[in-house]
Amino acid sequence: MVTGLGIISAIGNSVNENREALINGFCGISTLENFPSRFSGVLPCGEIKISTEELKQKLAATQPGVTRTDLLCLHAFRQAIEDAGLTTEEIESPDTAFINGNTVGGMCLTDELYHDANKHEQGSEYLGSYDCSSVTLSIQAQYKMQGPASTINTACSSSANAIMFGARLIQNGFAKRAIVGGVDSLAKFTLNGFNSLHILSPALCKPFDKDRQGLNLGEGAAFLILEKEEDAAGKNIHARLSGYSNTNDAYHPSSLSPAGDGPYLAMKIALESAGLLPQEIDFINTHGTGTENNDEVESKAMIRIFEIIPTFSSTKSNIGHTLGAAGAIEAVYSILNLKHQEIYPSLNFNEPQADTGLVPVREYKQVHLKHIMSNSFGFGGNCSSLIFSKV
Amino acid sequence: MFYIQESTCISSQSTFLNKINLLEYQVPEGNKFSVKEPSYEDIPEKILRRMGKAVRLGVGAAMPLIAGSGNPDGIIIGTANGGMEDCIKFLNQIIEYKEGLLTPTNFVQSTANAVAGQVGMLLKNNGYNITHVHRGHSFENAMLDAAMHLAQYPDARLLLGAVDEISAYNYNIDLLAGWYKTTAINPAEIYKSDKPGSYPGEGSAMFIVDNKKQQGSVRIDALKTITSNDPQLVRHRFHEFITLNNLQNDPPGLYLSGENGDSRMMHFYEACETQIEKVPVARFKHISGEFATASAIGLWLSAEILRSQEVPVHMWKHQQPNPMATQRHPLHKILIYNNHKALQHSFMLCSIDL
Repeated sequence: MVTGLGIISAIGNSVNENREALINGFCGISTLENFPSRFSGVLPCGEIKISTEELKQKLAATQPGVTRTDLLCLHAFRQAIEDAGLTTEEIESPDTAFINGNTVGGMCLTDELYHDANKHEQGSEYLGSYDCSSVTLSIQAQYKMQGPASTINTACSSSANAIMFGARLIQNGFAKRAIVGGVDSLAKFTLNGFNSLHILSPALCKPFDKDRQGLNLGEGAAFLILEKEEDAAGKNIHARLSGYSNTNDAYHPSSLSPAGDGPYLAMKIALESAGLLPQEIDFINTHGTGTENNDEVESKAMIRIFEIIPTFSSTKSNIGHTLGAAGAIEAVYSILNLKHQEIYPSLNFNEPQADTGLVPVREYKQVHLKHIMSNSFGFGGNCSSLIFSKV
Repeated sequence: MFYIQESTCISSQSTFLNKINLLEYQVPEGNKFSVKEPSYEDIPEKILRRMGKAVRLGVGAAMPLIAGSGNPDGIIIGTANGGMEDCIKFLNQIIEYKEGLLTPTNFVQSTANAVAGQVGMLLKNNGYNITHVHRGHSFENAMLDAAMHLAQYPDARLLLGAVDEISAYNYNIDLLAGWYKTTAINPAEIYKSDKPGSYPGEGSAMFIVDNKKQQGSVRIDALKTITSNDPQLVRHRFHEFITLNNLQNDPPGLYLSGENGDSRMMHFYEACETQIEKVPVARFKHISGEFATASAIGLWLSAEILRSQEVPVHMWKHQQPNPMATQRHPLHKILIYNNHKALQHSFMLCSIDL
């Protein structure tokens, strides 16, 4: 059972702000401002327009070594535990797991890392802050958490896997509750990485459009509180995590197989684990990055598994691709769909791909929704699907 | 929890496949426990050439296991840093070429999930595939993940493993942070040091694990992780672990300590060791060096020791109360305590039926 949500993204600093923006079809993608780069003022990114300094002040996290990734993580983490009403005792309990999906860690500090990795003089304050786990460990320390903790990096499906791992810890009796999600901040490292692969769009991304030109990178964080059904009684239950999967496409380090075996199996196994038939899925929050490869393959995999394709969208058209945070952010959006029985428009779509003809939902609608699937696929072939159900 | 059926290891010593020789010890050069890389016969040359060291070590240790036991149902890897060398190579290109036109190879290889991804790709394995990157608990989380997977799918067989490399870069970062000694390695002196810092290491250990008890399989009985800088809490948890696993009444034949010569960590190791006074103690960081997933090498060594019933002399710390204890009686059970950076602790219990 999901009893708490927390989020920060390019379209809002809270769950409510994000929902308002989604209802209004607001696009938070704009040109890069927060750090100097060749791409500053040019490349569209789903950037959170709050400087790192401002975040530090807002969150009263001014100790040395704190990175932007830590701050975004802390922001969403605090909201989630507050929303679920977790007590200090519960957070510190060995029964509370904390699982964080992350790919960038402190590498958002590209120039500092360059210095510390190459020079033999005095190190910076960030020596312990570069790896992905530093983000998780700093929260573990700050909140005196004693339960199981992990950081998961399966590239763009990291936080979907963090959610799944937390749920399995509860099912297997290793935890009573789990704080699960993920975070990533924009970094020169990932901007240049995706640019070198020629999959960054110079314009706003157009998921599932025939003229799509690639993805826009974004940043953000989201966390969910998972609790056992019996412990969630009397709480404000947002939704139920009813199915999940993890498969590998086993085709290429940075692109999906033509037939989409990994995505197909991810959706299929998630359905099996939820005990649902394909026709019972009312809506899909797709991976939908806007790259040539992803949208074509994901469409084909959807056609393979669904006789009638459910209504679907890509919220990456609102916030860009937030990498390690994407699975968790899109889980929050899927839960908002369920909770408010509404679907939000997918943006920037004009014309369907010739061979698949799939058209994402393009306007706000209130509809009856019982089960929603959320897809996350990553480099290294790592594919995951989550299914959330109305309570 | 589950059984280890087969295992491989690449380390600074002769630990790989048919070259395993734990009895003879070779002193590494300088202050690094650099790995002795094998020739990687199971990796196609074209693919091998593109691999960074961490990916090579991981895939190189994994592939011979697969060749022996077939495609596993899932691949679960723990690595603190993944391809750090590739990561910083790409970063340096970004800075030095002022974000110009860069080649993506280093970027793609730098993601921590590249090892699990590459193995999956080489085997065309569509199964469960995950990478834990929780620094000193990366491998421990991978073990926990494997245990849960095998509880859910009792007939499954998994590739479980860990890998980390000493790149010029993570070495530099941890050196600046005061984690390493810079003097040449003298094996006789490593554990006697009263100074902070350890010697960096690297390596890879891979395991085929499942639920089937067979002749020679090593059982993982229990695993516990603790995150704390308080030796008293660690001591308390260690005591709980001993009690929970009935080790007072049925003590392990060997206690494998992760001590590494860093004076700042000795009080943790002492706090635990004093609670199992009658158990002979061995050490392994003079084989692996210190790195975030060195506990996987500790587990590999434990499995080898249980199978061979032989503790290499250079590994002994002391054999009290009876120096010949383990030679006269079969060694059934090993308890491992490892500690990474005085913060992330793990206890593992493994055993064999003879």
